[in-house]
Amino acid sequence: AGGGCCCCGLFWYRDSSPKPHLVNRFCILLAADVISTVEFNYSGDLLATGDKGGRVVIFQREQENKSRPHSRGEYNVYSTFQSHEPEFDYLKSLEIEEKINKIRWLPQQNAAHFLLSTNDKTIKLWKISERDKRAEGYNLKDEDGRLRDPFRITALRVPILKPMDLMVEASPRRIFANAHTYHINSISVNSDHETYLSADDLRINLWHLEITDRSFNIVDIKPANMEELTEVITAAEFHPHQCNVFVYSSSKGTIRLCDMRSSALCDRHSKFFEEPEDPSSRSFFSEIISSISDVKFSHSGRYMMTRDYLSVKVWDLNMESRPVETHQVHEYLRSKLCSLYENDCIFDKFECCWNGSDSAIMTGSYNNFFRMFDRDTRRDVTLEASRESSKPRASLKPRKVCTGGKRKKDEISVDSLDFNKKILHTAWHPADNVIAVAATNNLYIFQDKIN
Amino acid sequence: MECALDAQSLISISLRKIHSSRTQRGGIKLHKNLLVSYVLRNARQLYLSERYAELYRRQQQQQQQQPPHHQHQHQHLAYAAPGMPASAADFGPLQLGGGGDAEAREPAARHQLHQLHQLHQLHLQQQLHQHQHPAPRGCAAAAAAGAPAGGAGALSELPGCAALQPPHGAPHRGQPLEPLQPGPAPLPLPLPPPAALCPRDPRAPTACSAPSAPPGAAPPAAAASPPASPAPASSPGFYRGAYPAPSDFGLHCSSQTTVLDLDTHVVTTVENGYLHQDCCASAHCPCCGQGAPGPGLSSAAGCKRKYYPGQEEEEDDEEDAGELGAEPPGGAPFAPCKRARFEDFCPDSSPDASNISNLISIFGSGFSGLVSRQPDSSEQPPPLNGQLCAKQALASLGAWTRAIVAF
Repeated sequence: AGGGCCCCGLFWYRDSSPKPHLVNRFCILLAADVISTVEFNYSGDLLATGDKGGRVVIFQREQENKSRPHSRGEYNVYSTFQSHEPEFDYLKSLEIEEKINKIRWLPQQNAAHFLLSTNDKTIKLWKISERDKRAEGYNLKDEDGRLRDPFRITALRVPILKPMDLMVEASPRRIFANAHTYHINSISVNSDHETYLSADDLRINLWHLEITDRSFNIVDIKPANMEELTEVITAAEFHPHQCNVFVYSSSKGTIRLCDMRSSALCDRHSKFFEEPEDPSSRSFFSEIISSISDVKFSHSGRYMMTRDYLSVKVWDLNMESRPVETHQVHEYLRSKLCSLYENDCIFDKFECCWNGSDSAIMTGSYNNFFRMFDRDTRRDVTLEASRESSKPRASLKPRKVCTGGKRKKDEISVDSLDFNKKILHTAWHPADNVIAVAATNNLYIFQDKIN
Repeated sequence: MECALDAQSLISISLRKIHSSRTQRGGIKLHKNLLVSYVLRNARQLYLSERYAELYRRQQQQQQQQPPHHQHQHQHLAYAAPGMPASAADFGPLQLGGGGDAEAREPAARHQLHQLHQLHQLHLQQQLHQHQHPAPRGCAAAAAAGAPAGGAGALSELPGCAALQPPHGAPHRGQPLEPLQPGPAPLPLPLPPPAALCPRDPRAPTACSAPSAPPGAAPPAAAASPPASPAPASSPGFYRGAYPAPSDFGLHCSSQTTVLDLDTHVVTTVENGYLHQDCCASAHCPCCGQGAPGPGLSSAAGCKRKYYPGQEEEEDDEEDAGELGAEPPGGAPFAPCKRARFEDFCPDSSPDASNISNLISIFGSGFSGLVSRQPDSSEQPPPLNGQLCAKQALASLGAWTRAIVAF
């Protein structure tokens, strides 16, 4: 299950000097399995991870504590539970993986926390609640639970609530099953806090959180003849403020924005975002590298960001013809596409995320590198999530990949990149400069130093 | 983009990926298979264009060494067909293959050209079938050849048939295999890119995100447009009467080409035999029900049958008699396509090439099972008997790879 937390004092910190002075404080948390999704909740106090084994591990941020001043901001394991088990579809003779594809938190409405977790076929609503009191003084049973002999009871007493060690329980409250023929790739909670969508390769369904036996199909791109299939849905998300608007991306590198007010079935998009392909960069793999692996609205709701294999693009929702920003993540891989196809790396689905103020975006790469792009200053940096390169209280050094010619000191050549070490999942705290980076089965949490 | 792998290796790798995805945990990943099918399509386009270019070059060299010979192996058919107008004489000399001697000398090349052509025919059939093109292609090609000045235009409309004509007659020598646009470095044939690969929608090639074919290739619209203006009005009637139109056979048996040699007055019909057999193997092939290819043409059909094996014997010995449809179209037992054919096809192929056919045969046998397993699947491709020839797989790869991901 979840691992222990080991903290060193590295801080990530930006000042006005020409080069960002990056100091990182991080936790490395070792999971038993490959981490498959990472997500902060709305306040950022909780961080949920899902893994390939169907487990969910939730971390909670330490509150400020005068007795432990340095522990502010540490994330410790809060709850661990098995969300999904492997299943077998007897009708199709298919095994359904228990791997958690996505976790999405619900906004908090009471003391308990709720999240949605999904594998390929089934979405579950989990309630995570704390128990820190225990009733003592029962009449019919002993403190250790054994039933008392009725004849021994001579007096009645009222049980008293006494504090106990904090216990965090996770219980499944809803199971939304049997609505997807294809593999679920996305879930997104609506801003109305009552509905959410789930998307598979060909269809998007709209659910009500209270109702598990029905869902509405709002997008269906399955062709009448599957031989005519040319694209699939790769990601979908609700607009952060407009509860009738959502977007979905496709394997062809296009994004469609749909308005649920226009019709019940949103097969016709309201907006269609596509950047024309550059014919000079045509290759065997053009279709693969243009496939969008993630789409995320900005917090403001004015922009959205898409990730394809080699770049991240920022789109203005008011302009469909082309993105307003394009950031190259690892352009040096363009000449390696053949090998990346052979070893299947070209199919890796990288995610991307915004920071709380939408001024920066982050996405992962290979060799445990991840990239940050500052939209205001137009600066970008490559950092590495690894134990060796992160010494206590030392700054995280920016990394550089050497693309050709002479390799400078501290540069890494493209050929020595480790393509097994990939960072697919990253998350940014909704308000603070805290980031969570999943590197295979290690979770790194980097924090800004609060002066 | 430079790629360390050639098209053939890419095809092999891609097929391997598709095959292994069947056994992966969690079921087939539709997205990944779709992307792999795009790579397959791109690789196949390049592969075919390279093959055409190479064989065209070989054909050119060969033709320059050999003067044209009569097609003595063809049967004398011309006046046996009823309704044949005298205007048949207007048609230029069109022959299948080079002269007999030339064939004997370069059997492999001619054979390969023929097979490649059959592959290409299949693509075009898929396009033409959409448009319900009534006239056999041979007709239009014959007619086109009769108008040398407009040859380029008319030929361009039916590149498939044009390919069947080796550049024998002087005015037509270079032309049939020219690309639609004249260019300094002509491709042997315009590729049937998106149209063929999206056989049900050739009118909207851009709907399929098709890569542009190698530079100089014709836009798919051109390849798909032939039905719009077929051959001169006189010829369709003649040929339709004489032989069943491709559309009569349906998609599978439709690759049939008829050419008329005005010098020898020989009418030659080439059927795409192995496809024919496969079609016969499936239940719903119309041609198999017919004893003869067309009404009132028993003599022609009989001649055709006679001619074919004769031609076979005189051609290269490597020919597998079962491969090009030695049996008459009606009720022939299915002769499985021999896998060795692929090696004949690519004599210098790498070891990977034979793996392709292995994989395809594995895949082919498993595929219909795969599709039938999924309750959600729409129409299944017609089951294919025996083993698939890799080249057939290459030929049908467009629609076929779509079906791969369909489940």
